Amino acid sequence: MDSSEHDLYRAAIHGDREAFEMIIRTQSRALFAVAYGILQNREEAEDVVQDTLVKAWKTRWRVRDPEKFPAWLSTIARHRARDLARRHRSVPFPLESEEPIDPANEEAATLLREKEMGDEVRNALATLPELHRAALTLRYFETMDYATIERTLGLTNGALRGILGRAMETMRKRLRPTLATLE
Amino acid sequence: MPNETIHEEIESWLAADVHDQLSNDERAAFQSHLAGCPACRALQEEEKKMNELLERTLAKEAADPAFEERMLSRFRDKVPASSGGLGSFFAGLTRLRAAQITAVAALLLTLVQVGKIVTGESGNYPRQQKTFASSFRPQAAQAADEERTIVTGSNIPTAEEAPANPAPAFRRELNSKSNEPRPDTSAMSANAIDELKKDLDDKSKVAGMPLKAPQESDRPTDAGALGGTKPATVPAAPPVTPADNRKLIRNAQLDLQVTNYDAALQRLTALAAEEHGFIATQNSAKLPNGKLQGTIVIKVLPENLDRFLQKARGLGELKNQTLGTDDVTKAYFDTDARLRNAKRMEERLLDMLKQNTGKVSDLLQVEKELARVREQIEQMQGELKYYDALVQYATVTVTLAEKDLNEPAAFLLKETANLSLFSADVEKTFGEVKSALQNAKTQIVQSTLDRDNSGQATARMTLLIAPEESDAVIARIKSMGRVQNYNLQTERIAQNGSGMSDTAKVERDKVQLNLVISRTGEEQAVQQTSLRIVTSAVTDKVAQLKTALSQAGGELRSSTFSRNPDGQEVANITLRVPMKNYAGLIESFDKLGEVKDLSVQRNDQPSTTANPETAPADVNLQIYSPGKIVSDESGIVSTIRRTLGQGVAALAWSVRMIGVALAFLAPWGLALGLVSWLVVRFAKRRG
Repeated sequence: MDSSEHDLYRAAIHGDREAFEMIIRTQSRALFAVAYGILQNREEAEDVVQDTLVKAWKTRWRVRDPEKFPAWLSTIARHRARDLARRHRSVPFPLESEEPIDPANEEAATLLREKEMGDEVRNALATLPELHRAALTLRYFETMDYATIERTLGLTNGALRGILGRAMETMRKRLRPTLATLE
Repeated sequence: MPNETIHEEIESWLAADVHDQLSNDERAAFQSHLAGCPACRALQEEEKKMNELLERTLAKEAADPAFEERMLSRFRDKVPASSGGLGSFFAGLTRLRAAQITAVAALLLTLVQVGKIVTGESGNYPRQQKTFASSFRPQAAQAADEERTIVTGSNIPTAEEAPANPAPAFRRELNSKSNEPRPDTSAMSANAIDELKKDLDDKSKVAGMPLKAPQESDRPTDAGALGGTKPATVPAAPPVTPADNRKLIRNAQLDLQVTNYDAALQRLTALAAEEHGFIATQNSAKLPNGKLQGTIVIKVLPENLDRFLQKARGLGELKNQTLGTDDVTKAYFDTDARLRNAKRMEERLLDMLKQNTGKVSDLLQVEKELARVREQIEQMQGELKYYDALVQYATVTVTLAEKDLNEPAAFLLKETANLSLFSADVEKTFGEVKSALQNAKTQIVQSTLDRDNSGQATARMTLLIAPEESDAVIARIKSMGRVQNYNLQTERIAQNGSGMSDTAKVERDKVQLNLVISRTGEEQAVQQTSLRIVTSAVTDKVAQLKTALSQAGGELRSSTFSRNPDGQEVANITLRVPMKNYAGLIESFDKLGEVKDLSVQRNDQPSTTANPETAPADVNLQIYSPGKIVSDESGIVSTIRRTLGQGVAALAWSVRMIGVALAFLAPWGLALGLVSWLVVRFAKRRG
């Protein structure tokens, strides 16, 4: 973390609203990724990010170490997302198909295939441990480098490799048939 | 990194590999493991497919470009700047302070803080609010008019924003269309979305690009879009190749060993000119042995770097080469994007100044903000220039060293001699040595003369002798006493370097002589004899022996005498005689008594320089008398005497016992007598 970022977090902790808004600009996408990893639902994830930001602003004085600010934000987001998931995840998320697709239309068929693959990936993702999901979504949503992901998730140095390694392994095993269809 | 570790942890390596997070060394180790492990290779293939699938499916679920702005505006709706802020700010402050100082101080300080906050903040809040309103709201309004909404909306560039990568963007459009349009996204005008979509459609058809570009092309294209070179709404422009837009800082390091430094430098200069490069810095140093060594920094165009290195390697023997590339693409375009944001901010601030409607305090605030933004802009421009300069040329650092760089300039021969002299008169010899040295080119570094309790004297000297005279001086000192030990060490010390050299000079240093003159011969005896002599009169014989010893020129080294209770006398004697008198002395022992248990041990040491005539022989000798068979205490007379004594003692004991018994009975007898006398008297009076 460079010193300007550090200063930004410290200012935010001390109540500088402008600094906090800057953090919203820089961190909310990452928070969205974390929340999505747990919920697999964009609308819910967005709500979670919203709640997280408000809660973070109200309880920002709890953070003593500005270095840990991003990790703290993502922890709030994870808790919120988990609560939400627990509350109504008994009802499985319906996979609605909107309009019927004409198989003759090649482009539409490709899109259909893409959509199916997306569902499979999401289903596989849902079986991973929560932390693994968050790591994957941060990586694939934001193309973050490992150091940034570790900072965002509050991991110690080097732990992420193992986590992503296991996450990718599990995903591969679950999606092996799908992978085989890819050329 | 050992191969087995990679194999065991292959999953984390695979992930780090597809995510491009391995360092250069790690990647090399990983590749070499894969080369020898088909199982891991198969896994890698699968991992790549997995990565691709995730990029195709998962990546498009990421937050949309207007996400941050939406979050921000909702946050502002939910947490208005004026309320809550003060309270929680105050709470936060007191919490922080309270943890750090003692209770009383905390209370006082908090009161002061409260006072400050109340007075300071109350004036600030409305103004701040106004700043937000004027600086951010127009942005949204403005953005709605612009076609570049998508880019403006986000501060953090990600692959998702790359419209040149049509599939995810296209899908996202479909998604946002299928969902009901959000009121918040009004920033994106329907117009812009339609146009964008049309463009994307056109492009995917016209350019015939695959649905998903390979991973590597993501970043550059995305970067290109953000870099402002290709506006988001002009995707019809030809696709940008990775090499065009990557900001790579290339540098290389060469260690060369050459025969002639100057010639090599000239050729290097010529080579640099051939490849349109130039010598940036050059420094060289001449070592004491006349060899040259230097470092040259050359700048060449990055595309010519490999050819240049190939040629430069021919200059001499390659000792080491490293080639590195530093990818600053992300940092560069991040800075670039921030720079453009800052410039936009500057424009808006300028507009606000021009409109000139607010109060003076507002204007001052704007001025302050403007100064801050301009400082940021300058800093970022500087950063970009710096990157540009680094990227424009590749840096080659060549270290040239002439052959045999470490060859020593000279050798120094350092001799150290240790000499032990035996002398009967240490003081005299010590004086002789000193006077002998006065004329020679000799320096006495240290000299001591010690005398111990037994009157033995030892002289120690340390001398430095000029090399040309050392042999003569040492020979002379040797002649002054008996040499007990002499050794000479020669050390060859290389100066300013190491290893062999044919050209280096050899110098002799002064010879150091450590001299010890002593009387006690540390010399080991050539012959050790041990024997026992039985005689009736031990003391007399010992006296005789001592006389014989002094005649033989020997030396008594130790002598003990003891007498046992049974009358046996034992004398242990250690003596030393010169070898020439040894035989005579041993013969004289026969006169002393019966010689028993004679054993002789001879140590011939070829190294001893001692004269065989004067070499010492040690004799350990025990003279003893045979013990009396019956000791004094067990003889007849003493037994009778003892028995009688015991009888008398027994008698005396019984007498004592009787006395004791009488002493016990007497009082009772008296008492009984008295009673019976009274009874008799009473009876007589009655009767």
